[in-house]
Amino acid sequence: MRTRGAILAGNVVAGLMLGFTVANIGFGDYTQLNRMFTFQDLRMLFSFAGAVAILIVVFALLRVRRTPGRIHAGVVPGAVMFGAGWAISGGCPAIPIVQLATGYLPALITIAGIAVGIRLCRWANGKYFRLDRGSCGL
Amino acid sequence: MTNYWPWWAGAGGLALVTITHTLATDRSFGVSSAWDRVLHWREERKIERLNDSFINEDALAEALAAATAEHMRTRPGAPASAEVAGAAPLERDSAPAAAESTPVAIARPTPVVVEAALLVSIFLGGLIAAFASGRFKLRFDMGSGFSDIVTANPVVMVCVLFVGGVLVGFGTRLAGGCSSGHGLSGCGRLRPVSLLATAVFFGTAVVVSFLLWKVI
Repeated sequence: MRTRGAILAGNVVAGLMLGFTVANIGFGDYTQLNRMFTFQDLRMLFSFAGAVAILIVVFALLRVRRTPGRIHAGVVPGAVMFGAGWAISGGCPAIPIVQLATGYLPALITIAGIAVGIRLCRWANGKYFRLDRGSCGL
Repeated sequence: MTNYWPWWAGAGGLALVTITHTLATDRSFGVSSAWDRVLHWREERKIERLNDSFINEDALAEALAAATAEHMRTRPGAPASAEVAGAAPLERDSAPAAAESTPVAIARPTPVVVEAALLVSIFLGGLIAAFASGRFKLRFDMGSGFSDIVTANPVVMVCVLFVGGVLVGFGTRLAGGCSSGHGLSGCGRLRPVSLLATAVFFGTAVVVSFLLWKVI
């Protein structure tokens, strides 16, 4: 079990690295993002796929636990909504933060939308869907 | 300006971020869940306080058990085997249980303030990169690509960004993860749910991007 200090340090270091890396790959640049999704430029696609390939090998070597995860009714519709939102706004939950740090002030609107969407999802799930959705952390 | 990293540097960087976080925290890396918990900080703080009270109760029970064992050991005439039969198995049972309780799914949730620190750190990391690379520039648009492909109208831009943000926020929480949680941490662990979610959100983004580029 990690201490609270270790978890805080891990989050701060990982956050700094993520912001730095995402900005330098170009995920915050809408032109680059659209070129990736339309296969005009495979550089960012290879970055993401390459990272996953490295992680598969490293996690296997380190024997990092593979939590089961359950495919529930919200996975596919949620992923469709996320994919559509990412393509039109250029932001996944981390990217608008990086866009804002790069000087794109309208990214604040994307962040506001994300905040509304997240709160709306928790409210709608509690009231209507009642799905055990898990989270990134599971 | 397109002085971005080559693909291999990006791949190494993203992998290093995820590995660092996983080893340091013993938890999966997820930005959307951090957002979720920070945005619902009041509820999350209540849960944290409840968890703390349970831990205190566990600590009290453990202290009582230790005191009882100590009492049995010092009691005149108490058989030595009693403590071995009573206390030692407790330790033997608890050790594997503790080892098994470390998996990510059972670990205590990360404190909300730590999740907030993650989001702030992402901003600072992006800021350092922007200044170091000379890309920092305050602007009221989303760049030439967005203007050419989506819209150049400021009002429409605001609506598109907001709606897109809502879809991202709602979708990531409904799917239980985002590009870091499902895409990196989950796919890196070969979790079926993450492989499915990543295939679907990436496929959808490809279709919508082609529509924006070629049709709309």
